[in-house]
Amino acid sequence: MKKVAIIAQTKEGQLSDTSIQLISFLSSFSPESILLVAMGEVKFASIPASKSVDVITLSEGLWTDSSAINPLVNAVEGYAVFGIKSIQVDNLLSLLAASSSQEMISGIQQMSFSGGKFSISKSIFSGKASLSLTSETVGYFSLNRNFDFSGNAEYGEQSVGSMSTLTTAAGGKASILELKPITGSIPLPDATLVVGAGRGFKDPGNWTIVEDLAKALGAATACSKPVSDLNWRPHHEHVGQTGVKISPNLYIACGISGAIQHLAGVNGSRIIVVINNDPEAAFFKHADYGIVGDVNDILPRLTKKLQEHLN
Amino acid sequence: MKILVCISCVPDTTSKITIDPSTSQISSQGLTFIVGPYDDYALSRAIELKESNGAEVIVLHVGGSESEALIRKCLALGADSAVRVDGNPTTSTQIANAIVSYVNQNPMDLILMGKESIDYNSGIVHGLVAGALGYTHFNPVMHLDVAGDGLKLEVEMDGGKMDVNCPLPAVLGCQEPIAEWKIPSMRGIMTARTKEIVVLPLETASQIQIVKADIAETARKNKMIKAEDAEQLIDLLRTETNVL
Ligand SMILES: Cc1cc2nc3c(=O)[nH]c(=O)nc-3n(C[C@H](O)[C@H](O)[C@H](O)COP(=O)(O)OP(=O)(O)OC[C@H]3O[C@@H](n4cnc5c(N)ncnc54)[C@H](O)[C@@H]3O)c2cc1C
Ligand SMILES: Nc1ncnc2c1ncn2[C@@H]1O[C@H](COP(=O)(O)O)[C@@H](O)[C@H]1O
Repeated sequence: MKKVAIIAQTKEGQLSDTSIQLISFLSSFSPESILLVAMGEVKFASIPASKSVDVITLSEGLWTDSSAINPLVNAVEGYAVFGIKSIQVDNLLSLLAASSSQEMISGIQQMSFSGGKFSISKSIFSGKASLSLTSETVGYFSLNRNFDFSGNAEYGEQSVGSMSTLTTAAGGKASILELKPITGSIPLPDATLVVGAGRGFKDPGNWTIVEDLAKALGAATACSKPVSDLNWRPHHEHVGQTGVKISPNLYIACGISGAIQHLAGVNGSRIIVVINNDPEAAFFKHADYGIVGDVNDILPRLTKKLQEHLN
Repeated sequence: MKILVCISCVPDTTSKITIDPSTSQISSQGLTFIVGPYDDYALSRAIELKESNGAEVIVLHVGGSESEALIRKCLALGADSAVRVDGNPTTSTQIANAIVSYVNQNPMDLILMGKESIDYNSGIVHGLVAGALGYTHFNPVMHLDVAGDGLKLEVEMDGGKMDVNCPLPAVLGCQEPIAEWKIPSMRGIMTARTKEIVVLPLETASQIQIVKADIAETARKNKMIKAEDAEQLIDLLRTETNVL
């Protein structure tokens, strides 16, 4: 394969586990070289690879127009560029793709490369269906967070090539007025465990039992759309068709009916647990484990059981 | 201000998706189409801006003539005119290039789109258009206000939100709560009948081949646990799955 580049976010100098898996996955295609474009500081030791990896660290700022991304366009010329889906990664990949007149595919679930051709399975209709695509020329790829890495090569010897920092005029033409990070809770799109709650809770005051369960699990909290529309919970917790799409290992849906628009945001979850007092709730058909019961009874008992295990 | 709103026409969110065995592609049989829900938010905000700041709102859709009823609905909501680039685009590139070539002939101050289409879920057409035109790009935008010569936006980012100053021209992907969905008025429906829908040919191609579509099979265990044994759930999550 030709040269590959990976656009990856970092957190406290570390790459995410999926970014590390992606580097290994791409190494298994034996590319001519691997370039890591880190959206933030990255420590050498956090980069595993069976091949040497070159690193570019992007300076902070808004990568939101062609004048801001121009230096990067030149740096990745001739590379096939990959990333794991996130707001910032997809925005940057799509700007880069168009600035270099390349095609981009996002929502990739599976991918292989042989005979100079990519074969790709792309998730569509919020995971209800998939499209099989082939191309020899696509240059930009965004992989879903629950991308299937099977067929992944073992991590080889770790060696890092060179590390250079690409500096750009941060911000291009737009400017930041205020950053409002969500603090104190696990960001929903990154969470591997999620507890979701719906209108069945009847009152925002009843959310303590949801938060207690989430805390005992180390999970993020989510909600249905009516709950955020009613301002019971913040908008960024709303999952579904019109909200955040999640693909955690475990989603526990409490007091949520299982409307198709809600399912559209959560059916990428590996295991789904449904707790609802209505045995006819549609969600039970889409559950791995179901409990017909009152959330006010069941949730505190699950929390207690988890706490006992920890002690 | 000249605002272009790009809309996708997609199967209703409750649709059952099936495959046409003769083509191995998604079957359009029995589907009801709607304007993409995020695109509807974008259009609603554009119409609010028209009412508050006196903008001209043009709706653009890349697709076949079966979408004209939905385009008319956008006109009934208050858009001034519409453009349909006629064809059956199969990739984001084709859609983006069609929008770009229209805007190259008809420069805009602001291009509003949904954050993603609910059929292809790509979430990239706005970024591709912004990159090709050299316009400023933000996505997903939750609040939009005119401020001086530009815009003040609240934008979601990974791990939070930010307020930004955004110069024009710009391409924005929109999501709620940017505006409330609107319902066309009787007067809107009447005036929409005389508004113009310009039809242009789709002239861009893509190098991506679509081989086939498949319905995703997600087999769930469907195991019920009695309420009195609820605590068993924790054990099952540990033993039967290794999610805990
Ligand atoms: C275009 C469009 C987009 C939409 N997008 C989304 C989206 O992104 N996300 C989303 O969630 N929705 C979305 N919706 C709304 C969706 O159709 C449903 O209305 C919504 O998901 C219902 O939320 P809910 O399950 O919390 O509430 P309800 O449907 O009111 O369900 C509450 C459930 O709680 C159960 N319950 C009540 N009391 C208890 C108790 N004590 N213990 C246990 N269970 C209890 C009830 O049996 C019921 O099943 C969208 C709708 C449209 C039209
Ligand atoms: N066929 C289309 N015609 C016009 N605009 C479109 C079309 N498809 C998608 N869009 C716009 O691009 C946005 C993002 O779409 P996507 O990248 O497919 O998720 C949508 O929310 C629409 O605003």
